[in-house]
Amino acid sequence: MNRSTWLTKSITVLSVLILLGLWQLGAYLLDSGVLLPTPGVTGSALMVLLQQKPFSLNVLATVIRALQSFIIIFLVGGLFGVMAGYSKKVHAFLIPVLVICKATPVMSVILLAFIWFSSGTVPLFSAFLMGFPVMFVQVEQGVKQLSPRLHEMTVMYGFSPLRRLIHFVIPSLTPSIITGAKASLSMVWKVVIAAEVLTVPRYGVGSRMQLAQVHLETAEVLAWTMIAVLLTAIGDLLFIAMLNLPKKLMHARQTQSMENLQ
Amino acid sequence: MNIREISKAYVVGSAQLPVLSDFSLEIDPGTITALVGPSGCGKTTLLRLIGALEQPDSGTIEKSRDEVGPLSYLFQEPRLLPWHSVLANVELVLRPWYQDREERIERSMRFLRMVGLEDYARFKPDQLSGGMRQRVAIARAFAYPGHIMLLDEPFQSLDTHLRWSLVEAFLTLWEADKRTTVYVTHDISEALLMADTVIRLTSRPMQISRSYRINTARNNRSLADPEFIDLQRSFYT
Repeated sequence: MNRSTWLTKSITVLSVLILLGLWQLGAYLLDSGVLLPTPGVTGSALMVLLQQKPFSLNVLATVIRALQSFIIIFLVGGLFGVMAGYSKKVHAFLIPVLVICKATPVMSVILLAFIWFSSGTVPLFSAFLMGFPVMFVQVEQGVKQLSPRLHEMTVMYGFSPLRRLIHFVIPSLTPSIITGAKASLSMVWKVVIAAEVLTVPRYGVGSRMQLAQVHLETAEVLAWTMIAVLLTAIGDLLFIAMLNLPKKLMHARQTQSMENLQ
Repeated sequence: MNIREISKAYVVGSAQLPVLSDFSLEIDPGTITALVGPSGCGKTTLLRLIGALEQPDSGTIEKSRDEVGPLSYLFQEPRLLPWHSVLANVELVLRPWYQDREERIERSMRFLRMVGLEDYARFKPDQLSGGMRQRVAIARAFAYPGHIMLLDEPFQSLDTHLRWSLVEAFLTLWEADKRTTVYVTHDISEALLMADTVIRLTSRPMQISRSYRINTARNNRSLADPEFIDLQRSFYT
């Protein structure tokens, strides 16, 4: 499945180069720094940003908001997902909430939230409403797809509820939890930054973006966008690394226990 | 084990579907009893009642002193946990019964060895063939200290050759530790080779139509034997 050869890697590099080339060409044809600055100008704007004093503070504020909302989504979405998967009543009760969450445009959530909450809370609230259904639906589906045959096996072989949870339910749900967490995490970044753009809290990537846009500093807007993209990519990478960690540990443990046997 | 006048009906929509009515059967401890009957006649329901997964509407199932306690199951499918190794699949069901981890691993390995899979202990179930997976299930059923073994057509999904080798593996383990075994199948030749008592059942509501005791020792049995040929014929008429 995960076959990345030198060929596929060089195709990816080529694709990046083509995109940069198109950008450069577009900037050359438009010939206007306000409409579309060149990649070079954007790059130096990025370097300036990186050296500015509140840079880390802005990034940190956004990262904390995103992580906070992600953790809340993960826990609440997971818990309600499990409950709805097991109980038709809970499912029926949560349907309206889900439909509303899924159908409401991000911008109206943010605008309404800004009427109700302070600018720092809006990104959290909006990200939760947008990310919650994603996590919830995945986990609920996972519970519904739990194998009744394996469940019966655990009953017949006298598994305690805790042992059933650890060795049957959680491993069965893991793929759904991972898919849900991954999808809601990438959504969280976008919503948090969008909310920051509209509400302009004191620190935040979105706030800086908004200020740069007001000053027609297009290069700076692009530079902040690149930072947002990087944040999402780093988030994804960390997430994957975190997933592989227990697998490696488990493998090491199994190898060790087999060695003890011999 | 003494099954006395048990009745069980399922409610389907607004209708009652009687599966068992006043069904009685005596099973000698330490023997293999094969229940042969058409599909859907209620054999599996009877197994579930013996296994206390369901309660009868009326009647009782009395178990002898040796038979009270945990039960081992062999299903039609292996039903192994796909994220655990072969060894862990067996070891896991032993946890409530053997506190010492070394002892559990030792016991699991002993039974895996008996079904010829000790070299595959570290493999995941999906790395094994269907027949090997069912062998793991057999090892698990015997490693588990079940006082009664309940078998629900565990060899049906396999081709003939594999089937006989699994029957053989099962009997090897069973001879070493003769637990009361109730065995559901719709294959009469399998039943004749394995069981001490073969019981022919009618379709719903299930009743015993004939009961045979086979006294020939298992290793002397042959389906070509005139007695067995007669028995097989009588089942199909």
